[in-house]
Amino acid sequence: MKTAVVLLAVLALAVPLAGQGTVPPSALLHPTADSWPMHNGDYSGRRFSELTTINSDNVASLSLGWTHRITASGPAGGGGSSAVVIKGTPVVANGVLYVTIPDHVWALDARTGRELWHASWASRGGWHIGNRGVAVLGTTVYVETPDCHLLALDNRTGKERWRTEICDLDQFYYASAAPLIVKNHVIVGVSGDDLDIPGYLEAHDPDTGALQWRWYTHPEPGSPEAKTWPSVEAMRHGGGMTWGSTTYDPELNLIYFGTGNPQPVINGRQRSGANLYTGSIVALNPDTGQLAWYFQSSPHDTHDWDSTQTPVLFDGTIDGQPRKLLAQAARNGWFFVLDRQSGRSVSSSEYVKTNWALGVDPKGQPIPNPKKEPQVDGALASPNQSGAQNWPPPAFSPQTGLFYVNATRAFSVYYLYENENDAKPQGWGGNDRGGWSEAMLLALDSQTGAVRWRFNWEGSAATRSGLLATAGHLLFAGDAVGNFVAFDAAAGHPLWHAGLHAQITNGPITYQLDGIQYVVVAANDTLYAFADQRTVSRATR
Amino acid sequence: MHRLRFLLATIIVLTPGGAFAQGGPTDRPALDEAAAMRGRRVYAEHCINCHGSTAKGGPNGPDLIRSTVVLRDRLGTGVGPAMRATPGSHAATLTPDQVVDVSHFLRERIEAITRNRTPRGPINVLTGNPEAGRAYFNGAGRCSTCHSPAGDLSGLRARMPDGLTLQQRFLFPTLTRSNKQVEVTVTPPSGPPVSGTLVRIDNFSVSLRDAAGDYRAFSRVPGVIVDVRDPLSVHHELLDQYTDDAIHDVVAYLWTLK
Repeated sequence: MKTAVVLLAVLALAVPLAGQGTVPPSALLHPTADSWPMHNGDYSGRRFSELTTINSDNVASLSLGWTHRITASGPAGGGGSSAVVIKGTPVVANGVLYVTIPDHVWALDARTGRELWHASWASRGGWHIGNRGVAVLGTTVYVETPDCHLLALDNRTGKERWRTEICDLDQFYYASAAPLIVKNHVIVGVSGDDLDIPGYLEAHDPDTGALQWRWYTHPEPGSPEAKTWPSVEAMRHGGGMTWGSTTYDPELNLIYFGTGNPQPVINGRQRSGANLYTGSIVALNPDTGQLAWYFQSSPHDTHDWDSTQTPVLFDGTIDGQPRKLLAQAARNGWFFVLDRQSGRSVSSSEYVKTNWALGVDPKGQPIPNPKKEPQVDGALASPNQSGAQNWPPPAFSPQTGLFYVNATRAFSVYYLYENENDAKPQGWGGNDRGGWSEAMLLALDSQTGAVRWRFNWEGSAATRSGLLATAGHLLFAGDAVGNFVAFDAAAGHPLWHAGLHAQITNGPITYQLDGIQYVVVAANDTLYAFADQRTVSRATR
Repeated sequence: MHRLRFLLATIIVLTPGGAFAQGGPTDRPALDEAAAMRGRRVYAEHCINCHGSTAKGGPNGPDLIRSTVVLRDRLGTGVGPAMRATPGSHAATLTPDQVVDVSHFLRERIEAITRNRTPRGPINVLTGNPEAGRAYFNGAGRCSTCHSPAGDLSGLRARMPDGLTLQQRFLFPTLTRSNKQVEVTVTPPSGPPVSGTLVRIDNFSVSLRDAAGDYRAFSRVPGVIVDVRDPLSVHHELLDQYTDDAIHDVVAYLWTLK
């Protein structure tokens, strides 16, 4: 009997010890409250946490738990800004928080912010515009580098396990996206807007890095969709990068992501047609890379309006029928709700006023106004190139049924350049210039897109803060002048705020360890972890 | 409180056309402009007929800017073998030095494409009708409510380096070049209203400099009333109303104000 008790005790100890430091696939399918185990927190992309320890009744006493300032020097080689800006969403698993900038990964103690290890990468080039974060599976941390590598790191030390090239620097690709683990696939996307190159999404073996499949963001030559390009050559050099975040429905076994702008970026005169599958929301089988359906958010884009914004997955009831839905607040200012099984439109609407669309086609896709395409003498367009939304992640709360987006209403003038002075523009062939903008936090009806509440960010022209919704009736958001704010998610009024030293630059996350709920957000080079410190005081009394 | 809409002049406007660093690999060969010039002549003699004057290809030869052989080339390591591998279509025998020169020329062409988001020449925006612009200025645009050719716009053209700058300043004016400022009045729950020029505002605080030159700051707690008066707000509202034709006409008219 006594032996049995001892044995049981050993087993009880052994189980968590054996499990410590590893992230099984089940931890990704059903994330626990002590984790934020992938870019969006879970596969749905909702950035909604069930945690209620911090809630609308007590958020006013939220205070600083810890900070961690990144002190690495600026990115090495290749280009981009030398300023250290945390744009990625941290990932938390087994009490360890992983945060990135291009070429760097840090593992921190998620309770204290203390550094456990730092891995850096000697870059061979590529744009260092940002890194969106890591993926974790088993005891491995996966990260993309600007010089086109996917790295697998040991989660205990940061040491490299393997590396594989996911794109070609010589073609001016680079890599910035957060990988997504789906079953035994590491799904990675690529970036690059300097030359005319095809976008693709691909899957790698988590153990070896071997390529499993690659899906190009253009149609097969000869298919009906290929007719949306004037030639196979234009199509195969037509852009459509995959640098946004991917979501996944395990029941339908489909992954969802948005594709980037077509190329040449601004001058679209030699790529007449809708230019599929650029500027689209796409559903693929994660095991084969086979296309299930597509919906084009931005047909024939000429404004650099990537459709890489998160396709957020949630369920709803429409006309009395339960439906599996997907919604995207696109960079072009439109909000799309789709049936995520079929890809069919449920609703399409502007979430900010825009001036470039003539209406929507029978599929619910906006019809671009040719007069608002870039012109030699300029065309006033809204939104501007940065868009009504960009990479900062949105949120959805099943508690309120609202889709939240940190939006910008912006104007600029788009010009066509005659640099090349020939019949075959390449690269960009134009740009936008100048402008005026205003920033606002919007809560949209998740089925119709109707604006349910609006909070104007005063003093901020545009924001780079992502959003976090919680079951504590809260929505966390930031502005461009350093305010990190908790809102009443239903009513849209601020309940708490903290002034940080710089603009909010990433998507906030939350997790709970030892009964203490943390909310972590970045402002430029520093992570701030907020917690209810009264809980800490009680624990140490 | 947040129902009040403030249109701030002091915002930082994102300028996507700003300084862009270049991508690509760090080990790509440094461009030798003299070699590229020599390569241009070799290209013109031997390559241009099939690959075109801008190396973007033609009916008889592929686009060399989009060629992975060219993009991965290191001083002829790709271009030379590719030419020798297809002697039928590459009859000319180039010396090793000429191959390197052509490689530099093609590298120069590629790098020009990567910079194609920046204009290399003037942008002509003076395409409108000045008379229609004058009519809009005095009519539908209501510009003459605040501005006049004999007053604040006198000698306008002399102050503008080019039409593009004029178009941008007309559409997106700032207060930095005028004597005007954003004015604000803050009324605390108790006490008299305080007015001055706006220093900083966000949703939680506001600060101003009063007539005496003193800095005054307020937390925007319940009961505090903030009234911001931005001289440019009418311009921001006009962005929703301009047609592109009206923009070009007004710019053409303003350009006549010598």
